Amino acid sequence: MVGLRQSHAFHTDTTRQGQQLSPSERERLLKPYLPREPNQSRTSNPKSNGPFHHRQRVRPAMRHLIHSLLFSIIHIVFSTLIRIRQIYHALLDRAFAVLYYHHRTPELIHRDVKNLSRIPKHLSVILDLPPEGGKKDALETLLNDACELAAWSASAGVPMLSIYERTGILKSSLPHLHRRISRTLISYYGATSPSKPTISLRSPNLPSYSPPHTPELTNGTNGTHTADSPHHLTILLLDATDGRQTIVDLTKTLAEMSQHGKLSPSDISQELIDAEISESVMGEPDLLILFGDRVVLEGYPPWQVRLTEIFYAQDNNAGVGYQVFLRALYKYAKAEFRLGR
Amino acid sequence: MATTNASLRRWLFALPPVEFLLQQLRETVIGALRCGPIPEHVAFVMDGNRRWARRSKVETVEGHNMGFEALARILEVCYKSGVRVVTIYAFSIENFKRSRYEVDGLMDMAKTKLVQLSQHGELLDRYGACVKILGDKSLMREDVQEQMERAVEMTKHNDSAVLNVCFPYTGREEICHSVQETVREFSKPEPSQRPPLKRPFSETHIQRNILSRQLPAVAEEDQTTPPLKDTHSSSDNDSASMSEHDLDSSTLHPASSQTSHSTSPVLKPTQTKRSASLPDPETITSETITKHTYTPDAPPLDLLVRTSGVHRLSDFMLWQCHENTEIRFLECLWPEFDLWNFLPVLLEWQWRQKKIIEQGRGGGLKTA
Repeated sequence: MVGLRQSHAFHTDTTRQGQQLSPSERERLLKPYLPREPNQSRTSNPKSNGPFHHRQRVRPAMRHLIHSLLFSIIHIVFSTLIRIRQIYHALLDRAFAVLYYHHRTPELIHRDVKNLSRIPKHLSVILDLPPEGGKKDALETLLNDACELAAWSASAGVPMLSIYERTGILKSSLPHLHRRISRTLISYYGATSPSKPTISLRSPNLPSYSPPHTPELTNGTNGTHTADSPHHLTILLLDATDGRQTIVDLTKTLAEMSQHGKLSPSDISQELIDAEISESVMGEPDLLILFGDRVVLEGYPPWQVRLTEIFYAQDNNAGVGYQVFLRALYKYAKAEFRLGR
Repeated sequence: MATTNASLRRWLFALPPVEFLLQQLRETVIGALRCGPIPEHVAFVMDGNRRWARRSKVETVEGHNMGFEALARILEVCYKSGVRVVTIYAFSIENFKRSRYEVDGLMDMAKTKLVQLSQHGELLDRYGACVKILGDKSLMREDVQEQMERAVEMTKHNDSAVLNVCFPYTGREEICHSVQETVREFSKPEPSQRPPLKRPFSETHIQRNILSRQLPAVAEEDQTTPPLKDTHSSSDNDSASMSEHDLDSSTLHPASSQTSHSTSPVLKPTQTKRSASLPDPETITSETITKHTYTPDAPPLDLLVRTSGVHRLSDFMLWQCHENTEIRFLECLWPEFDLWNFLPVLLEWQWRQKKIIEQGRGGGLKTA
């Protein structure tokens, strides 16, 4: 970084005396701050080819030693800092988790979000298949999380929830998931409550199990579909193939059409792609919640995340939690999330 | 009070010994950072210039100017610490919707900086950095375009570091553009049009070879027919050249009718060739699309930093960052961004990288 005097000179393009800087003067100003010339030019220097040519050996070695020492020190200090931060966040999360708990009561959830100025119309979450434990346990955790999220979203009044899971294991157990979600909703609302939300579960590449079947099923299980029109929640299951692969597939189709002369490449516009992709997969989510401890999208559909608000809880290792969900909604509504309701 | 404080601080930092020590400290810290893993490709969303200007009660354009200085500082840090590719979001296509005054100011600034850059080309060579402009350049003013071309041209021989400037850019435009380019590539017949991309052997040539070997007795005039038929298939999409083809075939027909026995074996392969000369759309993969993005040969994006506390991508690097990129949202505004804000990000990245390597080793041991 150049000194303040020089940066001032660059900024105004004049010297202190108020004269215009010439390119050569500018270079002179910068000279001391530049890295050394690349080595090639030095070896080509004819003087240094003699037998008594002196090359710096000790100083670079010393410098390297100092740097690696400093590197270790910085990292030791920094990792303790990270640990402290992690502990702090874990404690905070615990506190939030105690203060804000849903108790499987939709009214409580409703009360938590009542004062928010806006609720996302399309909420999206990224779930991870937990690496530890057997495959069955992992799937069980995942199903559980998905069910809870569905219930919270329904209670909070979110009309659309999309669940992204990279491997697609959730997608493949779609009928099972539907049964589980219905059961979870019953445990939240009670089996015969008229306000129990209806759900429909679908997935972009599995058209077989989709809306026409699901409302029947929910009606069949509770049988009290009144004119009160309970909240309807659409759940969309996504996996890695709905991201890049969709765009690749679209390109394939477009290429084929172009080969048959049905469209020229210049006809391809953002509107066309957007229309096709929103129809086959989904539109843009308003809010994306990550339950990991850092923001990595893991192949989440790229076209749709463009303006999505991304929320993650720093150092969250507890997985899917109600307080994270709630904090995301607060953040989205630009409301302050405080300790204590 | 605040102003006296600021001027005191400025005076202090301008003292030669203090300046020297700060400089040494920076160099040492960067040198120390180099000892660990360093991301190869870092992207920045330079957000917060306007807010900074509003907060410090200066003009918006001045805020952008300070933003540029912050950029210069951070580029120095990146290149000195060994980052190979830096991508910056300088101007979004959406930004054209801002006030005309501000857009013009930004354009003027870009032009000034580019002119300065081309005046000091050899200084950039010290860093071995080349400049690339990503985006739809046709939306720019012409004089700016000219300077962009010049800067790119001047630095293109450097290969140790790359600075990608996304100038009028949005991620969707990029995806759309690369889809378009892919479609264009795949609706063009393969042979000889794109020699550097494809193998030196053309399929039609080989087919012709086989044919000529299968039909050694056919007269010479038949050997001229397949290539002519071939031009027919290549210009298939082009309605303008259809009339030409019609002329060709009309001149051909008398010739083929003369040697009626040879037409059927020749016609048959041309029909299969019709689809074969065009590349199969099924071979399109995500790599094909990546190849047509604005960053075809850049290493995968390791780190994306967005300043000013907005937790969105705002249409930046959509195709590149949705896989394994770590995205960091920082609270500070871009003009305030410096080594000291960037250092924790880099350190945490290094720390995670180390953990991932350790885990990988642990996992490897477990399975072994």
